[in-house]
Amino acid sequence: MAVSQPRVEKDSEDCSLLPLVHDVIKCMDKDKDGQDVHQELMKLKTKIQKAREQISNMPGIDSSPQEQQQQLATLREQVRTKNQLLQKYKSLCMFDVPKAS
Amino acid sequence: MTSHPFVVERDANMATLAEKSTKERLLSVLDDLEVLSRELIEMLALSRSQKLPQPGEDTQILELLVQRDKEFQELMEVAQQQGKVHQEMQVLEKEVEKRDSDIQQLQKQLKEAEHILATAVYQAKEKLKSIEKARKGSISSEEIIKYAHRISASNAVCAPLNWVPGDPRRPYPTDLEMRSGMLGHMANLPSNGMNGHLPGDALAAGRLPDVLTPHYPWQPSDVSVGMLPPHHGNDFGLEPPGHNKENEDDVEAMSTDSSSSSSDSD
Repeated sequence: MAVSQPRVEKDSEDCSLLPLVHDVIKCMDKDKDGQDVHQELMKLKTKIQKAREQISNMPGIDSSPQEQQQQLATLREQVRTKNQLLQKYKSLCMFDVPKAS
Repeated sequence: MTSHPFVVERDANMATLAEKSTKERLLSVLDDLEVLSRELIEMLALSRSQKLPQPGEDTQILELLVQRDKEFQELMEVAQQQGKVHQEMQVLEKEVEKRDSDIQQLQKQLKEAEHILATAVYQAKEKLKSIEKARKGSISSEEIIKYAHRISASNAVCAPLNWVPGDPRRPYPTDLEMRSGMLGHMANLPSNGMNGHLPGDALAAGRLPDVLTPHYPWQPSDVSVGMLPPHHGNDFGLEPPGHNKENEDDVEAMSTDSSSSSSDSD
């Protein structure tokens, strides 16, 4: 966890679009119709497009967190019930059936 | 100060956004960011080209942009957390599948056990029926023993223990008995085969007079024992058979009679 926490922060910082917007505005102050503004705009556009692709490929976000928690609880309940069933069967009185040779 | 139309529209959709999936919310916020940043840049470009400062509106858009960017980052964190939960759910799903296969295996074993038990119950019921049937038609053991005595008294099932070659008592029908039976009458066989052909069989049938009864020296009857020389009694085992002339004759006669007896039985 100590290792993954900085990574999450880094990801959060990476997904922010404000630095790129700031770069565009800063470039506009220096060169109003120059190539630098277009370049910065392209960077912003590319960043947005990559963010869209990243969001499309992220697993487990097809439902809301509440729905996901409900699904998780349902799965845990299923595992618990099935474990109880198996345990109940194993604790039954068993008979050794001789194999017909 | 009037609020931006974008803000009013977005606030109205906040309730429905909370019910949407994280992916839809992320894409929606990303669209907002794109629109707001474009609007801000265009506004700034226009204001600087026309040298007309429009205080208030650009600030409002900038605040909205910052707010949406913060919301986007928060949603990205939520999405990453959901990714971890998704991994946990996959592990649980695999566990559920494994438990399902275990339960199916046990169900299969139970079916086999049910089949075995059903067969055993069926066989037990059949056995009970047989027992009940036997109880209804029960016969006393004394009666069975009497019947067994009747069968064995005529040597019909087993030769007597002291049987020797030439002894007419035997556990199968004699030729005379066969001829006098129903099969013999049906085949209309001539009954003159008894004339000297099978003296032993005729004797077994008890229809020949004692005069015709052959006497064999090896017969364990009292007469034969009485006719034996004295040394046949106690000294029989002391001398080798080859040194006794009478014993050799007896053996030879025995083998001859034995061969004739076996041929008669055919």
